[in-house]
Amino acid sequence: MRQRTARRRAQLLAGVVAAVAVIVAFLVTGLGRDPSVIASPLVGRAAPNFTLAQLNGPPVTLSRLRGQVVVINFWASWCAECHVEQEALDRAWQQFQDSGVVVIGVNFEDTTGAARSYVRTADVRYPVVEDPASHTALAYGLRGVPETFVVNQSGRIVAHVIGAVSASALASEINSALIASAR
Amino acid sequence: MTAAGTPERAGVSLSGLVVLAALAAAVATLIIVAVGGHRPASLAQQVQQIAAGLHCPICKDLPVADSPAPLAQQMRQEIVQKLRAGESADQIRAGFVAAYGDSVLMSPPRQGVAGTVYYLPLLVLAAGLITAFTLLRRWLRARPHDPPGAGSPQLSQRQRHAVARAISRLREEEPG
Repeated sequence: MRQRTARRRAQLLAGVVAAVAVIVAFLVTGLGRDPSVIASPLVGRAAPNFTLAQLNGPPVTLSRLRGQVVVINFWASWCAECHVEQEALDRAWQQFQDSGVVVIGVNFEDTTGAARSYVRTADVRYPVVEDPASHTALAYGLRGVPETFVVNQSGRIVAHVIGAVSASALASEINSALIASAR
Repeated sequence: MTAAGTPERAGVSLSGLVVLAALAAAVATLIIVAVGGHRPASLAQQVQQIAAGLHCPICKDLPVADSPAPLAQQMRQEIVQKLRAGESADQIRAGFVAAYGDSVLMSPPRQGVAGTVYYLPLLVLAAGLITAFTLLRRWLRARPHDPPGAGSPQLSQRQRHAVARAISRLREEEPG
């Protein structure tokens, strides 16, 4: 009888411990996540195609760049963080241009005049396109600017950065895409 | 085949015809009400309906239909364009889900980890009921089946006489 009671108590205790462990595991998993990082469902999928008018040049069609690593950066002239990451994007363009990497700036919720003025002042050398109806921005699930996507040579999105991207992080993502496609 | 059977059968078929006619009239009325009563929604109504089911990605708990944010306005515009291009409401919703994930829906599907939020209370309730039922059954089994009157103390013959005497004495002492 005593043995039975002891066994029941042990089972009850094990049940309580298991329940507490599950709750703690949920809390640890949830609290360990950075709330500002929202996983894009597009990572690993084909990048939505677009043909957009360039500010200073012919229209750009993404599908025509298949076989090259493409960095798509959504930005606006009124966006302070976009100014912060400008150096990183310029550096990536200079550093990887010869390796077949293309950087495209997609202007978001801006006026053509303000965008042109910024491009001239900041001496942006890579192609900058306009997305007047935000059709492309919505296809990429944009929540704000800046946001950057890295598309590999097969046309798949391999990285998504929300907020200002650093030069080292961008170089790392581009290198990963180049190395993966070289294999 | 009797002579008397013919009018009887004719009567049955006549009543059957009446029932059939009544049924046909009812079905026709229902079709007329269903088709004529629900006019196809206008473009604005369709946009409103779809936008009400989408969560504004940059707002807190606000549907695209009610958000003044430029992104929400562009989403509404995108819905208009897609509807004009012949896409269905489901296709439009699927397009937004592909870009933003399930979180863009005001009512995300009850699948995966998110589904536990919906089903956990029910599971807890079911577990509680099972536990209560098990405990109750165990308690009922553990309790000995007492015979009727077993709860009252067993008195000897002598004690019963003493109690009867005391009761009769009390009655005699009662006034009136």
